Amino acid sequence: MAEIDSSGGGKKGGGKKRSKKMSTKIDMTPMVDLGFLLITFFMLTTTLAKPVTMQLNMPDKTDTKETSPVKLSETLTVMPDEFKVYYYQGIPTEAGTKLEATDYSETGIRKVIADLKKKIGNNFTLVIKPTKKAKYRNMVDMLDECAITGNKRYALLQIDPASEDLIKRSGK
Amino acid sequence: MPKVKAKRQSVSLDMTAMCDVAFLLLTFFMLTAKFRPEEAVTIVPPSSISEKPLNAKDGMLTISVSNEGGVYLASDDQVGREFMLERMASRYGVAITAEMKKNYMASEIVGYPAGAMRQVLNMKPADAKKLIKGIPVDSANNELSYWVGYAKLSNPNLKIAIKGDQNSGYEVFSDIIGTLQAQNINIFQLITSPEGKPK
Repeated sequence: MAEIDSSGGGKKGGGKKRSKKMSTKIDMTPMVDLGFLLITFFMLTTTLAKPVTMQLNMPDKTDTKETSPVKLSETLTVMPDEFKVYYYQGIPTEAGTKLEATDYSETGIRKVIADLKKKIGNNFTLVIKPTKKAKYRNMVDMLDECAITGNKRYALLQIDPASEDLIKRSGK
Repeated sequence: MPKVKAKRQSVSLDMTAMCDVAFLLLTFFMLTAKFRPEEAVTIVPPSSISEKPLNAKDGMLTISVSNEGGVYLASDDQVGREFMLERMASRYGVAITAEMKKNYMASEIVGYPAGAMRQVLNMKPADAKKLIKGIPVDSANNELSYWVGYAKLSNPNLKIAIKGDQNSGYEVFSDIIGTLQAQNINIFQLITSPEGKPK
């Protein structure tokens, strides 16, 4: 604090002026606070931004040997579009094949997959054929649905003209 | 009888050591933190429930797909990157100067056709941003296939990660997968942002 040095009044004249000795100690507490605050801040922000990965295994094209035959009655073909998902069972060119459309919500495609999986059992295979208009997000969503429903058997294929025709015919 | 005086202890203690520790930790974390590689375009990956962290021990080749469908390549394997540049340049007959190599190593991503290589690499990475439009992947001119091929040649353990923008078209992704499958690369890491698991 501001103080007036009045002690010098006693001696007059000579005598060296002594500079006041200041304490070398300073209060470090705020600095410690700041240090730990920064550490906490950086630690919390870095862990939150970490990306995760999802592994996608594709079949080996050079390996022509068919390893596991899949029954057509045990498959479901889904065709993710930008905002909805088409799905059907069976052969697309047959007249009896019914195309349905649903959405990406919890009660949509997830329920369809879960129900069929329960009905068919472990041999259930999901065939994913994204349409030409599908976004990358839609494909990841479908793979995610497989992870959620615990379905390990799925195949990612190119869309074929027959399936495209089926969508066009159904008008959905 | 004289009073026994309790020794008075000072309440302020020396904070210097604690301060040292705090800043030492801070410095340590800041220096060990890996910087996120520079991105020419902002990519918002889709979310998934996957919880596997990105593991890039042996080097990771990241193929990014932007919203508009541009394809970019990034690698954290510096030796491999140099090898890739040399091979690509000799394949397309581009003479590489020391300056061009410096600019290449300074920029994190590759995102231009081989024809524009000379022009892009003669600029500083910050100035060349406008020219970075993506590597051709179409079947007529599939340069991605060569880049990946050379990367694999230099480091066979290289992992391939695909980081697509959530709104990029599936067609581009399918082209990339097709390109890689043609080289017998069948395992991909799809980079996504975490999302809560549904009950």
